[in-house]
Amino acid sequence: MLAELINPYYLQVGSFMLINIILGISMYITLSTGQLSLANAGFMGIGAYTSALLTIHFSLPIPVGVVIGAIFAGLLGIVVGLPTLRLKGVFLAIVTLGFGEVIRVIFVNWESLTKGSVGLSGIPHMGRELLKTVKELGFEPKMLGLQNNQFIFMAIFLILLVIVIFVIWFFKRQNDSRIGRAFSAIKLDEQAAESMGINITYYKVLAFAQGALLSGFAGALFAHMLGYISPADFAYHKAIDILIFAVLGGSEVIWGPAFGAFFLTLLPEVLRFISEYRYMIYGVIIVVMMVVRPQGLIDLNVVKWIKRKTTRRGLKNGTGN
Amino acid sequence: MLNVSGINAFYGKIQVLKNVGLHVEEGSIVTILGANGAGKTTTMKTISGLLKPKEGKIEFLGEDVTGLRPDQLLRKGIALVPEGRQILAGMTVMENLEMGAYHRKDKEIEKDLEMVLARFPILKEREKQLGGTLSGGQQQMLAIARAIMSKPKLLLLDEPSMGLAPLVVADIFNIIKEIRETGTTVLLVEQNARQALKISDFGYVLETGKIVAEGSAADLLTDSRIKEAYLGVKS
Repeated sequence: MLAELINPYYLQVGSFMLINIILGISMYITLSTGQLSLANAGFMGIGAYTSALLTIHFSLPIPVGVVIGAIFAGLLGIVVGLPTLRLKGVFLAIVTLGFGEVIRVIFVNWESLTKGSVGLSGIPHMGRELLKTVKELGFEPKMLGLQNNQFIFMAIFLILLVIVIFVIWFFKRQNDSRIGRAFSAIKLDEQAAESMGINITYYKVLAFAQGALLSGFAGALFAHMLGYISPADFAYHKAIDILIFAVLGGSEVIWGPAFGAFFLTLLPEVLRFISEYRYMIYGVIIVVMMVVRPQGLIDLNVVKWIKRKTTRRGLKNGTGN
Repeated sequence: MLNVSGINAFYGKIQVLKNVGLHVEEGSIVTILGANGAGKTTTMKTISGLLKPKEGKIEFLGEDVTGLRPDQLLRKGIALVPEGRQILAGMTVMENLEMGAYHRKDKEIEKDLEMVLARFPILKEREKQLGGTLSGGQQQMLAIARAIMSKPKLLLLDEPSMGLAPLVVADIFNIIKEIRETGTTVLLVEQNARQALKISDFGYVLETGKIVAEGSAADLLTDSRIKEAYLGVKS
């Protein structure tokens, strides 16, 4: 019975959703200091290619490759961040968009390393590697009544779910800490923050690098989830995808971009016929949101409202019992 | 306490401060007067580290602090209340005050918070209100209170009376006097020359980036040139 419920297709969609949520959060972190960066797709590519190449050529274990890929993207974030963070608003957006394109062009043209626009295939697959390992330990998916591919997709989904929960927990904690306070002071008023003794360069670079690290992390997971990547996966369109998560969901609270990523990954799957018109719809979303609700669907008030509702319901249930 | 000498500061190619020098005695209130564009705010920005001077030297408590970052200077005890207040509109009054103590790690923050709220009862009343919803005068008080939370030795106030009603202006000047009584030295920039000089010990007059006059506040109040230019009195 369990076996019938575990549908590889749903699990795959769910896994994409979780990766997109990580990307949405990477956008949120840089935005939480008021910086609009469109380089996250590029950093995602860096993480993906780094981890893929390391695991293919040096047969490193996947977790090691993923961590190195994320750290490398983060370090590159510091290198790119330091000179560009004096730019504000639209200028930073343009520079980071340009950076993303440069990265893509390097992937396309450095054929000896990246195989160019054909892309890299044969990347160790998270699920299959895990299956191999557990089989060596004498475990068979049949023991749970699962087929091999059901096990693979469920394992990926569960691993990503744990990672996403950890990422949300970590950045929510950070948001409530000294670092989070500094981020939001910088977002509200850079000059005031500076006159309060906040080292704004440090915190802006920190936010930018964290965003880059998280994008690279998501990219590396993406590579090992699909087993195949190409430069087109990390192009301008991906940058816009990530931006839309934050525009629709909102970037005031971490739940905003997470909801945006969830909803916008689900939509084209549920409504098959609109997936061809996706980018048209995205355009409409940007325009409508900017006019009607520039802070995004989920802002602080919505979170407070949900909290009030749930606690009230909790109380009712409590007395009912 | 503060010794500034030979400051030349530029915005791009335009020289804003020309060989500016001034001296602030510990425990005093010193005012810099000047018309719009004279370089008053630039002087404040330079002292607080927001702007790096091309030439010149800034000494604080006998130590050369030229070219330090604002956060380093704040740790040494120089706090700035910037022009136009610049409170954090999206944070509550309480959060704004806590941000003032951002660099502090000592255990007296709570105590200072209570003290500040006792001195500014209106802020205590509005503790949970967003900073942006306060009136202009309350915002100015919040900005000053926030700076006090950093426990400064020298407080720089950039036009605290700007855009406020006369009654509120009187309140603000009273508060500045009180701050000095608690042992904090104050350097004030003002266009409201008469009221500023009344509470000050010493004054400087800045004109197009140069110090053109200096003297005790009492002398400046009776100086005929100052009277005509800044106090609106024909002699």
